Amino acid sequence: MHWQPPRSQWKLNLGFMVFLFLLFVVIWQISSRIAVIFGLGIALGFTLQKARFCFTSALRDPLLTGITQLSQALILLLALSVLGFAGVAWWSADQNIPLILNIYPLGFHTIVGGILFGVGMVLAGGCASGVLMRIGEGFAMQMVAFIGLLVGALIGERSLDLWRAVFGEIPGIFLPEILGWFPAIILELLALLGLWKLSRWWQRKQIGG
Amino acid sequence: MARYEMDIWGEMCPIPLIKAQKKLKSMNCGDILILETEHSCTSRGIVVWANEHGYRITEQEVTNGIWHLELTKTHA
Repeated sequence: MHWQPPRSQWKLNLGFMVFLFLLFVVIWQISSRIAVIFGLGIALGFTLQKARFCFTSALRDPLLTGITQLSQALILLLALSVLGFAGVAWWSADQNIPLILNIYPLGFHTIVGGILFGVGMVLAGGCASGVLMRIGEGFAMQMVAFIGLLVGALIGERSLDLWRAVFGEIPGIFLPEILGWFPAIILELLALLGLWKLSRWWQRKQIGG
Repeated sequence: MARYEMDIWGEMCPIPLIKAQKKLKSMNCGDILILETEHSCTSRGIVVWANEHGYRITEQEVTNGIWHLELTKTHA
């Protein structure tokens, strides 16, 4: 294998950045809210791609190879989200901005959906964000997975009422409402710490060292 | 010091790693396994896995979006 340095893509990068900036400016004229969401989306995608973060791998590898490196990263991500979300909630209460919470009711269909999604994501080699990120990278096979994702999401959305009617559901639980903010955060962080210890122990047990 | 090459082009993420694990079992210490993939996360996953197991591995992005891996079976 004779080694050649990869062709630099800086011209493409620069061109795309200019394009994104112009698109941002255009969207800003229409709605600043959508423009901010667009910017956050770009930032998230960029981070995801550079970090090589893979939710599929984080959940699959402990069982498949015994490696929990990404699982530990996922736990750290959740811990940061808990703190970040608490910060947002505190700030919005301070500013008197009502907080829109996505607290979904729990039911048998939650478990069925979780298993279906899990099987699908391992077979397709990526979860929703991972598939989008790799399409952006130019990995053509994930476009097939993306079609599957769209079809599955549509079927799920259309049949949700049926699932609810057949199996029933219990209302969603929002811990801060029951325990208060401070105990809820402590409890969540302790649970994550426990999971982190568990994943460390699991890797040691599986491959030693 | 044999060199083996394995075809993992177009394979989805966990499959190359499982194939490599199987292949490695049949190899002798000091043998080298060469892998090439166009899947960025596959490459990353194999490197992490090899490091955790203490195998020597080199990763090179030989051209944009193609990763060339050389895995040495340093121990049984």
